[in-house]
Amino acid sequence: MAVFQAALINELEKLYKKRKVMVAMILSILLIVIGQLLILGVRTGLGIRGAGSAEFPLLVLSVAVNTILPLFTALVAIDSFSGEFSQNTMRITLTRPVSRFKVFTAKVVAIGLFILAILAFLFVFSLLAGLIFNVKSTTLIGIFKTILAYGVSFFPMLVFALGVILLANILKSGISVFFLSVLFFILFKAVELLFVSYSGIILTSYFDWYNLWLANSFPFLKIFRELLMMLGYGIMFFTGAYYLFDKKEF
Amino acid sequence: MLLAAPFPNQGSENMEKVIEMKNLTKLYKNGRGINDLNLDVYKGEIFGFLGPNGAGKTTAMKIMTGLIQPNRGDVKLFGHSVIEEYEKAMADVGCIIEVPEAYSYLSAYENLKQLARFYPDVDEKRIEEVLELTGIGRYKDEQPKRFSLGMKQRLGLAAAILSRPKLVILDEPLNGLDVEGMIDIRKLILSLAKEGTTFFISSHLIHDVELTCNKIGIIYNGMLLNIQSMDDILKNYATLENYFVSEVESYGRLPSRIDQ
Repeated sequence: MAVFQAALINELEKLYKKRKVMVAMILSILLIVIGQLLILGVRTGLGIRGAGSAEFPLLVLSVAVNTILPLFTALVAIDSFSGEFSQNTMRITLTRPVSRFKVFTAKVVAIGLFILAILAFLFVFSLLAGLIFNVKSTTLIGIFKTILAYGVSFFPMLVFALGVILLANILKSGISVFFLSVLFFILFKAVELLFVSYSGIILTSYFDWYNLWLANSFPFLKIFRELLMMLGYGIMFFTGAYYLFDKKEF
Repeated sequence: MLLAAPFPNQGSENMEKVIEMKNLTKLYKNGRGINDLNLDVYKGEIFGFLGPNGAGKTTAMKIMTGLIQPNRGDVKLFGHSVIEEYEKAMADVGCIIEVPEAYSYLSAYENLKQLARFYPDVDEKRIEEVLELTGIGRYKDEQPKRFSLGMKQRLGLAAAILSRPKLVILDEPLNGLDVEGMIDIRKLILSLAKEGTTFFISSHLIHDVELTCNKIGIIYNGMLLNIQSMDDILKNYATLENYFVSEVESYGRLPSRIDQ
């Protein structure tokens, strides 16, 4: 366990030092500011309410889960694997007394923590922005629901990250992994829209599954089904990626 | 014992085996690689692994450190197989394979700090110590992307000896070093060997190998030609270079080559 902990701290330190986290946070703030400005514009210009303080974080989330969140998740995952493969820095860790399984898992956990951090960051700042611009409509239940929505959004994003990690272990170049991830993302979104009846098996359709958690009549079965689907994808991606990582020659 | 038979190790029966390669085979699609390598290295030896480019030195060293898997055979370090018990096998090993790698966005100190986390006994004092030992203490806060090849090599060495390993595996440790650097590193190797550290070194710089190593193994075309102690070699040959050339030439006349 101590060895795993060391590997995890190392991964987190590398993530932090590479400043990708900073860029992701700056973009998150931009998203919030632009979103809030748009709503203000709509409200003052057209007299439409726009979004209340508790709804604003959800609005931000609905944009983030389809844009900056998968984008940065993919970038960080590619950097952590393809980046280290191509620069040969993977050898630094792999020639230390730590098994490949621990190195792999530490990387996955670090990427998971990155997703959580960005989600938490988005939540805090969008809530603050919502509070500043519209105090009246804030309710405790509203805030609780927002926390829930942000919290459950972690799962589909982690599964997406595992998918990118699998690609990163199949393909040699990080750039091709990135473009393929983007291509898959667009393709899945298109299939989701065109073949609605099949959208349930498409990974990207789970990105907004937080909506299910907010529904008034709690759709337990649907949530359970999607959770199992994500679990299935997650296990397959993790196993496949680890298998390739373990066999890789450095 | 079968594997030791062709290369008798005088007086080494009682000594602790640090590296034990058995039937190690790894063949690449291009026909290169290593074939049926059997080799023992004992505690306290400074083993020089000599061979021309493409002979399989790096392949053997990569298998030893778990970076690639062999097709056949196994390597045991301190009695633990690198395939079965990697963490145990590598617990007391430091290495540089091919070129020393470092994270370019971390300072030299931070690079070593990353490695130190894997060893409970390595503290900040030890990091400072190895930085001074390898002569890059002044540059500890600089990022290695601005380092010269020689400085990178020194940082790599610092990383290799950081955990006070009992075995140090070095692939071309003198690459890019100036004369002063070579002398420094040689002194460092010899002083660590005196304290009981075993070394496994591959190098093209035959003169330096002669000055540093006390045992020589020659690999050619993926096969181990001979293992002899430096004293024995120098009894029969004027220099290590003469011995190397004569071994390789006599092999060239043998019919049982890997590619035939």
